[in-house]
Amino acid sequence: MFKNYSLGALTLCLTACTAPEAVNISGSSTVLPAISLAADTFTSETGTSVIVNAGGSGSGFNQLAEGQTDIGMMSRDITISEFEKFPDIEFKSIAIGRDAVVPTISSEVYEAGVTALSLSQIADIYAGRVDNWSSFGGPDRAIFAIDKEASRGTRQIFMGVVMGSPKAAAPGADLVTGSNNEEQTALTQSDSAIGMLSFAWLNKDVRGLSVIMPDGQTIEPSLENIKNGSFPFVRDLTLVTRETIEPAAQDFVDYLLGPKGQMAVETSGYIKVSE
Amino acid sequence: MSTLAAMPPKSAPQHGDALKAYCQISAILSVLIVALILSTLILQSGPVLSLKNSGMFSTHWNPDAGQYGMMPMVFGSVFVMIIAAIVAFPIGLMTAIYISETRSSKLRRFIKSVLELLTGIPSIVYGLIGVAYLNIWVAEAFDLQSGRIILTAGILLGIMILPTFLTLTEDAISTVPARFRENAKALGLYRHEIFKLTILPQAKSGIAGAGLLAIGRALGETMAVMLVIGSLDRLPSPLFNPLSSGQTITSKLGREVGESAFGSAHFSALVFMSLILVSITIVLTIISQYFLSRKNTYV
Repeated sequence: MFKNYSLGALTLCLTACTAPEAVNISGSSTVLPAISLAADTFTSETGTSVIVNAGGSGSGFNQLAEGQTDIGMMSRDITISEFEKFPDIEFKSIAIGRDAVVPTISSEVYEAGVTALSLSQIADIYAGRVDNWSSFGGPDRAIFAIDKEASRGTRQIFMGVVMGSPKAAAPGADLVTGSNNEEQTALTQSDSAIGMLSFAWLNKDVRGLSVIMPDGQTIEPSLENIKNGSFPFVRDLTLVTRETIEPAAQDFVDYLLGPKGQMAVETSGYIKVSE
Repeated sequence: MSTLAAMPPKSAPQHGDALKAYCQISAILSVLIVALILSTLILQSGPVLSLKNSGMFSTHWNPDAGQYGMMPMVFGSVFVMIIAAIVAFPIGLMTAIYISETRSSKLRRFIKSVLELLTGIPSIVYGLIGVAYLNIWVAEAFDLQSGRIILTAGILLGIMILPTFLTLTEDAISTVPARFRENAKALGLYRHEIFKLTILPQAKSGIAGAGLLAIGRALGETMAVMLVIGSLDRLPSPLFNPLSSGQTITSKLGREVGESAFGSAHFSALVFMSLILVSITIVLTIISQYFLSRKNTYV
């Protein structure tokens, strides 16, 4: 009796462990919402299970390169030093959508009148040169600057534009967070914070700043401005694979580029790759 | 197990041998695992140790520029551990005295088992509570912009190690033989005198062991700390300001180990930090074992 049960349990366990054709994906928490949405419909249509994990672009690339996953999600380009770490592997990047990184501030500061900052003003905050909102016409409160982990795609795009280098140090930062989720929570909990979020993560508690360009033009973080590329922090959301890719993973990539996958991209608040 | 029990008794010696071999293999395996972990840590630390100008004792951590200043992390770990001890030890000791000296044994068992339940709660749950409530309370109490600071991490850790410290301390107090208590009573001592003059000296080494074991746990904690400490690779200024954000070795590992390529200097620097952490924990554990096992030879 006991033997039968344990044998049954063992078989069940083994089948579960060796379930055919699971596609493993990890990486950017910016790309994640669109992918997990598409993964749900893909699984229900084809029966192939898709396992999606966050961790950041840097971690997504590493896990792919080390063979732990089939697809890496990245919200930035692969860096030269990353290519150099794995010289024997050919990588392929596929853009599946477009997004913008938006300088984001606590709603309290936004409502007090700070709705637009220039790139150099944002740089001043992160370099620690300005530390009070009153300098920008806001309330007399110290600025709480939120940075992100160095490997995060969102951070690298943001600092690349603001400070001139993706890996620039930010001595003015008061807190370092990881995922969009964590950053959003920190921004919501503060009444004087500035940070950086992917466009899809903005809401009424965390407001996107308009950016004053060097030529004096103010550009709002709107879908329109992201589509036409005038917002300065626009980026591609990409999937990275190794040159040799499992058929199931290739199917999923194709699915994402197809109409249903692109719909998931749009539903998540990003812009289709075709536009 | 069931097949073992069903066997006829005459073949018991054979099974005894098999069982003995099994136990020996298990014991060897667990020793091997410890040795494997330690040797991996030491070997993988090589690249960063052989690196010139790694600036290990500086405060600048920037793997892209080849700077691996570990001081903020090491300092953060120790600082958080001290705060956790300050939070947990007085409460733990007082509670242990209360439940072992004044309560009925039934109530004592109840209180103890509830507290032991606390040790089973996954640390990420503590972390979420820390993010959702504790960090906001701390920010309000000290009028700060953010409660993601060293103090919050210390308080959270203090709560987490409290059950470990408390149950071990309570054990130490209640295992003092009854004859000491009775003799002291017979001499006409008051209750607090009995405790202070006879019980406490007996239980002292047990309590010290409990404290060191709890501190060891505080050092190794990752998830809860990572979520509330702020993750800034900077020494607080002034140095002993618990109201600034910081970083511990564990929170640094939690945040960065995923992005560092295996075998790189970055990875090696992270491994070396874990080696430092493991060394401290091993020393603490050995000392606490010594205290916990020490027999009371005096009185």
